[in-house]
Amino acid sequence: MTFLHPLALLGLAAAAIPALLHLLERRTPPEAEFPPLRYLRDAERQSARRLRLRHLLLLILRTALVAVIVLAAARPILPTRVGGGSGGSGRGPTAVHAPTALAVVLDNSLSASAVVDGRPVLDRLKALARASLAQAAPGDRLWLVLADGVARAGSREALLASVDGATATPQRLDLVPAVGGAARLVAAEPLPAREVHVLSDLQRTALGAGSVDVPGVAELVLAPPARVPANRGVAAARAGDGGLTIAVSGTPGASAAPLVARVQPPGSAPARAREVGRTLAAPGQSVTLPLPPLAPGWWIGEVLLDADELRGDDRRLFVVRVAAPASVTAEADVGPFLSAALAVLRVARRVVVGGEIAIGERLGAARSIVLPPGDPALLGQVNRALAARGVRWHFGPPGPPGTLASADLAMVRGVQVNRRYRLEGTEGDSGVVASVNGEPWLVRDGGVVLLGSRLDTTWTALPGAPGFVPFVDALANRIARGEAPVAEAVGAPRLQFFTRGADTVGATVFGPDPRESDLTPATPDEVRRAFPGARLLDEAGLAAERFAATRRADVSGLLLGFALLLAAIELAVASMSR
Amino acid sequence: MVDSRRLDLLDPAEVARLGGIEIVAQGVVEGFLAGIHRSPFRGFSVEFTEHRAYQPGDELRYLDWKILARADRLFVKQFEEETNLRAMILLDASRSMAWRGDPARLTKRGYADRLVAALALILLRQRDATGLMTFDEAVRQVIPARVKAGQWTRLVRGLIDTPDGLGTAAETALRQLAGLLARRGLVVLVSDLLLDRGLALTALRYLRHRGHQVIVLHVMDPAELELAGPPEVRFRDPESAASVVVRPRELAGAYAATVRREIAGWRAACRRHGVAYHHIRTDMPFGMALRLLA
Repeated sequence: MTFLHPLALLGLAAAAIPALLHLLERRTPPEAEFPPLRYLRDAERQSARRLRLRHLLLLILRTALVAVIVLAAARPILPTRVGGGSGGSGRGPTAVHAPTALAVVLDNSLSASAVVDGRPVLDRLKALARASLAQAAPGDRLWLVLADGVARAGSREALLASVDGATATPQRLDLVPAVGGAARLVAAEPLPAREVHVLSDLQRTALGAGSVDVPGVAELVLAPPARVPANRGVAAARAGDGGLTIAVSGTPGASAAPLVARVQPPGSAPARAREVGRTLAAPGQSVTLPLPPLAPGWWIGEVLLDADELRGDDRRLFVVRVAAPASVTAEADVGPFLSAALAVLRVARRVVVGGEIAIGERLGAARSIVLPPGDPALLGQVNRALAARGVRWHFGPPGPPGTLASADLAMVRGVQVNRRYRLEGTEGDSGVVASVNGEPWLVRDGGVVLLGSRLDTTWTALPGAPGFVPFVDALANRIARGEAPVAEAVGAPRLQFFTRGADTVGATVFGPDPRESDLTPATPDEVRRAFPGARLLDEAGLAAERFAATRRADVSGLLLGFALLLAAIELAVASMSR
Repeated sequence: MVDSRRLDLLDPAEVARLGGIEIVAQGVVEGFLAGIHRSPFRGFSVEFTEHRAYQPGDELRYLDWKILARADRLFVKQFEEETNLRAMILLDASRSMAWRGDPARLTKRGYADRLVAALALILLRQRDATGLMTFDEAVRQVIPARVKAGQWTRLVRGLIDTPDGLGTAAETALRQLAGLLARRGLVVLVSDLLLDRGLALTALRYLRHRGHQVIVLHVMDPAELELAGPPEVRFRDPESAASVVVRPRELAGAYAATVRREIAGWRAACRRHGVAYHHIRTDMPFGMALRLLA
């Protein structure tokens, strides 16, 4: 047993007060005449034994009462396994513990905002985090790790405020590295006890690979919920040449849900957004909605799913950049197929005649799409012109036939190339748009595009393929002009545009991490694999095991209760007249 | 000056404030007799001697009904000294009798003086010779039983002239009294009975043996029945140097039981020896005390 205020034990000397008072009181009693003294003596004689016992009992009770009160004031501490509330909850002894390094990992990722049993999961996790931090003593070292993975050190009050202010974020918390970092933090503290409390919905997708087991650190992991709702979320929405591609993520096996796509004209208010498509999709599926002809400009769009228990992933933004038709001049030597394709595109108003882009065997003054010359003797001249322009690519020797491959140009994939020149560059594969046998076939450097084959059926089957005209369209409008990059990032749903002068040259679309949509919890085996040394506990177990290794109980409350009992007995004994 | 109310039924302390012993006793007796309409002590302790023929005017209660039934003749019973009962009142004048538990009450001695005066007046009015003996550790005052005029005044004077004594020796007085009473008569002992019970009962039994009718009036202050006082107090016996420190509250129960046992002991012992016993509290109206004797 130890005492929080050992100096108070000096007060035990006060236990002698009842006996001293008794002696002092007996010295000068008032005196009175009383004739029937003989009756009094008889009564006293008959009651002597009872009175002696009563006096002794009262003396013991009073002495014990003072001693117990003094002991309570000294705040005795005893080892205990019983959990206790912070600062005394009124029931049982108040629990205290040895100085502990504690890191609370609170998973406030998007999935925690799912409503389960009528209450957001995050509320339950925050309550548990609060309980963990509230039991911290002044000698403890505390950290709070949120979904951003940052370990915040601070006082109990500061971290409690952080917990109170925590809201669900679109970020995904990779639990294993987060818990590992927290465990290493507390392990470095020279304190008698080290604990990491992991408060998460324990999504299977949050565990990832790897495992954490830091010796000397008690990892208390809240058990995953037994039941989670089936969820669907919009994982991605990207506008491309083929239309709007929408990917749906969520609980595997969940049924399809209706989704709708809307676009908002450039520079207009959201209220003017109009629906451009509607379809059904289940988690794991990807659907493409055709986009109607849109005027040039940056269109803002959104894909909406019907509301479910996790609202944060039911909407995702996208942007559509519609460029003005490229003005193209084709030299006479480009061949009949390319000339015909450009004619079709002119009719379709995808290109116009102009000097923005020159297509031919020679390098133009502005942007150029350079075909290999029909006469091999001219290769040297073309390569010198390219070098003079500062282009890092040039035509090399002929390469073997093969099929086309391209990540960006779907319409050319698998098309046979019979004849080609190797395209050789000075800085690796930078600028490669399509390749044959892994060797560059279509490259771009600045405003210059080089093709490894002429667009003729003797060189490649591409002019006879259905995707030839779209390929030429992409070549003129996107590849030669250069695409405005649209990036995707994890964050609160919003758009960020990049401008150069008055032009918008790119955008970033922010949205939640699609892995958050799958609410499927990890199995206990998966949790144990990720955290081999951890204890998987429910809420009651967590409450019991917090600071359990060094928990001690302040029994002063019990002693005060015992003192009250003694006082009541003393009162009863003192009030007894016979 | 005597109040027009029934003084025998009023609070003794209130009655005592009306005047001296004589006035109080007279007032009490007047009220008492008016209440019962006839003497309560008629034919008290008289001896039958012979019969005589009934004369008109004789009281019918002395008619011998047995002779009337047997011989159809009217005879009345003749009694010896039928108007001359000899009564001696013994008053305990010890120090313990001069005590009261409340200043608003009479001391036991003050109460007893007035009661004795009233009793004597009743006896003398019905032509009974009445005497007085006061005692403490020794006999202090002896007024022989007489019926002549001025006897009551002498008795009252005797009460007044007897100071508060010290100890109590009732058996001495009782034995001396036995010598004074040549014929059988009435003996009334008025005392708080804080004395040796064995010795006193021996003396009372001796008086009964001599043929006297004996009445014991046990006078107690109400404060002697229930123990009260400060949390702790040293009680001192006024008749001796003895004292004891007690906590009245914790001893009150046992004390009350002891007092009840003591009173019951006196009552049983007196009954066993043919002695009439009456317990009288000093807050009891005099009339009620006198009625106990009727």
